Amino acid sequence: MDFRWAMIIEYMPLFINGLKMTLMITLIAVFFGTLIGLLMGMARLADAKHGAQRYLLRFGVRLPAAAYVTFFRGTPLFVQILLIHFALMPMLVHPVDGLLIAGDSARELRQNYGAFLSGLLALTLNAGAYITEIFRAGIQSIDKGQMEAARSLGMSYGQAMKEIIIPQAFRRMLPPLGNEAIMLLKDSSLVSAIGLAELAFAARTVAGVYSRYWEPYLTISFLYLGLTLLLAWGVAALEKKYQMKSR
Amino acid sequence: MEFSRRKLLMALVASAFVAACGKSAEPKPADNAAAPAAPAATETRTYVVGTDAAYAPFEFENEKKEVQGFDIDVLSAIAEKAGIQVKFVNTPWEGIFATLDQGDRDIVISAVTITDERKQSMDFTEPYFEARQLIAVGKGVTDIKTFNDLKGKKVGVQTGTTGDEVVQKLLGKTSEDIKRFESTPLAMKELESGGVQAVVADNGVVINYLQNNANAGLSLIEDNQSFSPEFYGIAVKKGNAELLGKLNEGLKAIKADGTYDKIYAKWFGEKKAG
Repeated sequence: MDFRWAMIIEYMPLFINGLKMTLMITLIAVFFGTLIGLLMGMARLADAKHGAQRYLLRFGVRLPAAAYVTFFRGTPLFVQILLIHFALMPMLVHPVDGLLIAGDSARELRQNYGAFLSGLLALTLNAGAYITEIFRAGIQSIDKGQMEAARSLGMSYGQAMKEIIIPQAFRRMLPPLGNEAIMLLKDSSLVSAIGLAELAFAARTVAGVYSRYWEPYLTISFLYLGLTLLLAWGVAALEKKYQMKSR
Repeated sequence: MEFSRRKLLMALVASAFVAACGKSAEPKPADNAAAPAAPAATETRTYVVGTDAAYAPFEFENEKKEVQGFDIDVLSAIAEKAGIQVKFVNTPWEGIFATLDQGDRDIVISAVTITDERKQSMDFTEPYFEARQLIAVGKGVTDIKTFNDLKGKKVGVQTGTTGDEVVQKLLGKTSEDIKRFESTPLAMKELESGGVQAVVADNGVVINYLQNNANAGLSLIEDNQSFSPEFYGIAVKKGNAELLGKLNEGLKAIKADGTYDKIYAKWFGEKKAG
């Protein structure tokens, strides 16, 4: 088997920029996805024992959160990316009749950042759905006694969550969160389908020019592996930091 | 006692599963091994043709999921004249040439331009269509008149096409202004929504897209000075001289007796000279 590595050297800038783009879009998506997950995770557990508040919370807060999670976990990420980029974004950001942004700034935005924003939005919403469930599981795994003790000390629900429950839950959620971050890193390769110049895009370009598959795809496999190991190491460092010292 | 019996039962179920999987996998490789050995003997072997049916009017899928188009009609006519059977299979463009090498497809007809690089890894018949690259521009774009005006603009292409090649030569291989898509219609969609300012693709496909999407406000730029004529050929695996000969014979025959002209008129209207 003869490997022609020259083609990789030739397109090296594409691979380097692709690496940066993949890392960047993944980290930003994980960050915002975690924020969404925190809010939605708590939303899924919102409840009240008595009164009108009960129905307000159940239908106004819990139901939308459940619907969001169901939709974004139940449809393929690839479909979400194409839908957002070719259908949703043109409706919102269009030089002529954009609902959110129109005119010249819309054109500028779409041309320079269109694929990046669509990809980021799709990845964030998708990650948010999965992270919601991770947060919910983490929160529910904390002993009910913690909440009861916090409330009996006079803390409000919000204070109890912020000071007592979430910090404890966070430690338990780190492994699955790390999992999600790694999955997102690899799933970001799907964004190459809408023309974002990330790592998989570089490989497809080289394969398209030379009709050779070993060299480009082996290269990005190792690069993705490297990134994944980096992420895994980062999560391990975080886990160590939050480990219970008394044990 | 109970626990080891359960383990035994699970082991049996697992091994039965593996055996079933193994069995269903075996007959297929055996069949594939038998088929290529047979063709020399039988005349009625059906040749599998790969075509990326997202390229109207050359090849596309109709509502009934049947592959149709100019390329389909041409190859079917050639096959008839050459006395062979063909079956069309929709194959993604990225990797379509590899299917020839691997034997997944015997013939590829997919508006493939004959280039020297491609000739190194596959054999082409005589040209059956002349094409040129065309530039499509978005609504209200007035500052693109020639191919050179694309410098500094965002350009969409289909990955691995001659359009991709030609734009890379102009803007640079690793230019960030080139946006590549899996298919030309996707690139055109990006043009419509303003993500790129121009798309460079084969004239047949661009003209067809504009005809079918007249209200998208796109316009065409012809630049015959910058684009040289390209010729489409039918591709077969390198070294398959027997099949190539049959296809070339058939092509000559349909050009001679007017069948080709009829097919051309059906899809493109005007009469073509030779």
